[in-house]
Amino acid sequence: MIDTPRITLAQGNGGRLTKELIDTVFLRHFGQPEDHDGLDAAALPLSPDLETVVTTDGFSVEPLEFPGGDIGSLAVHGTVNDLAVCGATPLFLTLGVMIEEGLPLDQLNRIVESLAIAAHRAGVRIVAGDTKVLPIGHGGGLYLTTTGIGQRPPSVRMGMGQIESGDVILVSGPVGDHGISVMLAREAFELSGSVRSDSGSVAPLCLPIADFDGVRFLRDPTRGGLATVAHEIAQGCGLDLILSEADIPVRDAVRSVCEILGYDPYYLACEGRVVAAVAPQIAEQVLTFWQSLPEGAGAARIGIVGDAGKARDRQVGGKVCLITALGGQRVLDPLEDDPLPRIC
Amino acid sequence: MTAPASTERARALLAKIHALPLTREVRVMNVCGGHERSISMAGLRAVLPSQITLIPGPGCPVCVCPEEDIFAAIDLSQRPEITLVTFGDMLRVPANVPKGTPRSLEAARAAGGDVRPVASPAEAVRIARQEPDREVVFFAAGFETTTAPVAAMIAEGVPTNLTLLLSGRLTWPAVTMLLNSEAAGFDALIAPGHVATIMGPEEWDFVARDHALPCAIAGFEAESLLAGLLSVLEQGLEGEARVDNCYGGVVRPEGNPTARRLLGETLNVVDAPWRGIGTIQRSGFALAPAHAGLDALSRHSIDRSQLRKRAGEMPPGCDCARVVLGRIAPDQCRLYGAACTPRSPIGPCMVSDEGACRIWWSSGIRERRGDVVDA
Ligand code: SF4
Repeated sequence: MIDTPRITLAQGNGGRLTKELIDTVFLRHFGQPEDHDGLDAAALPLSPDLETVVTTDGFSVEPLEFPGGDIGSLAVHGTVNDLAVCGATPLFLTLGVMIEEGLPLDQLNRIVESLAIAAHRAGVRIVAGDTKVLPIGHGGGLYLTTTGIGQRPPSVRMGMGQIESGDVILVSGPVGDHGISVMLAREAFELSGSVRSDSGSVAPLCLPIADFDGVRFLRDPTRGGLATVAHEIAQGCGLDLILSEADIPVRDAVRSVCEILGYDPYYLACEGRVVAAVAPQIAEQVLTFWQSLPEGAGAARIGIVGDAGKARDRQVGGKVCLITALGGQRVLDPLEDDPLPRIC
Repeated sequence: MTAPASTERARALLAKIHALPLTREVRVMNVCGGHERSISMAGLRAVLPSQITLIPGPGCPVCVCPEEDIFAAIDLSQRPEITLVTFGDMLRVPANVPKGTPRSLEAARAAGGDVRPVASPAEAVRIARQEPDREVVFFAAGFETTTAPVAAMIAEGVPTNLTLLLSGRLTWPAVTMLLNSEAAGFDALIAPGHVATIMGPEEWDFVARDHALPCAIAGFEAESLLAGLLSVLEQGLEGEARVDNCYGGVVRPEGNPTARRLLGETLNVVDAPWRGIGTIQRSGFALAPAHAGLDALSRHSIDRSQLRKRAGEMPPGCDCARVVLGRIAPDQCRLYGAACTPRSPIGPCMVSDEGACRIWWSSGIRERRGDVVDA
């Protein structure tokens, strides 16, 4: 059997092998920087008329590759989406790479290629990076950190504080796809499923509407899922959110895995969805716009803000009520522990 | 995306239940954390006629897992050569330990123990294969549904560095115990669908035959649960008692013969302790003599007889035992929502996703209800 080439500690020593690794894997996919000129940092051409927005995020996922994406595309989308929901056009990324000794070189190549493709599609350039190799047993194969820089017009003024009673809550597509896709790829549950991660950029959904009058707040649900974002919104604006279970889009395949394993789909991670709080007058317009895009084909109106007659409570914050499909009611709390498969 | 067809069918069943001429209170017990979860998550209690009381029963394997087993697992996990693997729910369950020692497997891990959550026996085997130099102990708590894959694992043969701390329990003996007690506390039973899938629906015949109570086997979906509920209510009104299989697509007569054969070949059924409740006859699985070599306690010479205060009991002040038996509702425990919340759980019922206290809390019940009165 021919052993596949694997990453060695020496490739992280900063010498010739490190340079070779960067050239043959990273720069091969990202392309050589144009005006690099031997410098150790990148100068960014930012517009002085716009606000500059920056965000950073670390990524670890097991397995590194799953149906619909991998840690590479995730590291781009996660950061790009954090910019997009603030109304900022994502422009530049920096990339920190921690590789565990022993990672197959092929796999690293696939992931970096996928990262490059995701960055290209999202219109962001990778302008700086760093690579380290950790001794075996000190990292889950590969960790990535991306810092994203974007710009937005000063007219964008979204925030939880702008949310008002009567506002409408929208979601841009079915929830829980990413969580189930990764879980099925990780665990041998003997469930065959065809669920693909929704990992993708939400910029096309967010940027065109970010400075609409009446778009109060956008957020991409990731870990903790829809329920956690809804809870953050309720806490942040001091009003209750009332969500209607019958209106929340969940794919049949996701629903049935949830039923078997005892998961709540509203707590499962998404990686390519947006939740919006918008004024009732423009809800239909935003919804129609979203539904006209491939990223938002499954968009739906899922609830409203505010209990009639209940005042804003900034101290305690609001809560999230779910009207169940059968007309019952329950509270959605933020995620406590990671969801576990049932054992009864 | 429209509401799934099953939601429509569930609504129709709900309408049928509302049309029943119920006059007296009917108390319906379920025996499955998954049932209780679905009931709470669908908000069923609020939409059913007020005469119906749904009681969570002995459906949480984590909650009744013997305290001494958790204590032994913690002890094992502190030995440098041992990797202890267990279902994630077990990590936070507290044991009654002497001061200064870890009180849960989570604390044991923080204290340096190699404790890892697994989702299946296959994962335990994988870890043992991948790390042949480690002694891997699989702490397997669960009911028939979880114990069956453990039996299959044993039958297939496990790596020599893998041993078992087995806390498998059978569900029906706990129901028998309740029904033989002075006041069972319920008028009809929803039997666990997944258990019946393996063991066969016939296991539950005794409820109707020996105790003249209506019984139905149901799955986890609201639709199946409501079908089961409708069946037992109708049986009650007609003065009948039988076991109705409302999970017909999945539960077959005789259950799953292969799984039952493997259980029979590898494990024996023995009298077994339930935490806070005591010993229930023929309610536990133990390794058959041919597989006694897999016993983690003897391999690692754990002495079971050490005397500890409150060994075998629930944590001080915790009413889980009565919650598990359906004697009180979770929100009738004195600690519910006050000292005991999912963030700082006192008892196992607030830890496990199958535990009634945890489920009630997660569904939004935040206040304690009046004072405890024995049902
Ligand atoms: S509320 Fe807490 S202390 Fe009370 S029975 Fe439930 S788990 Fe035990």
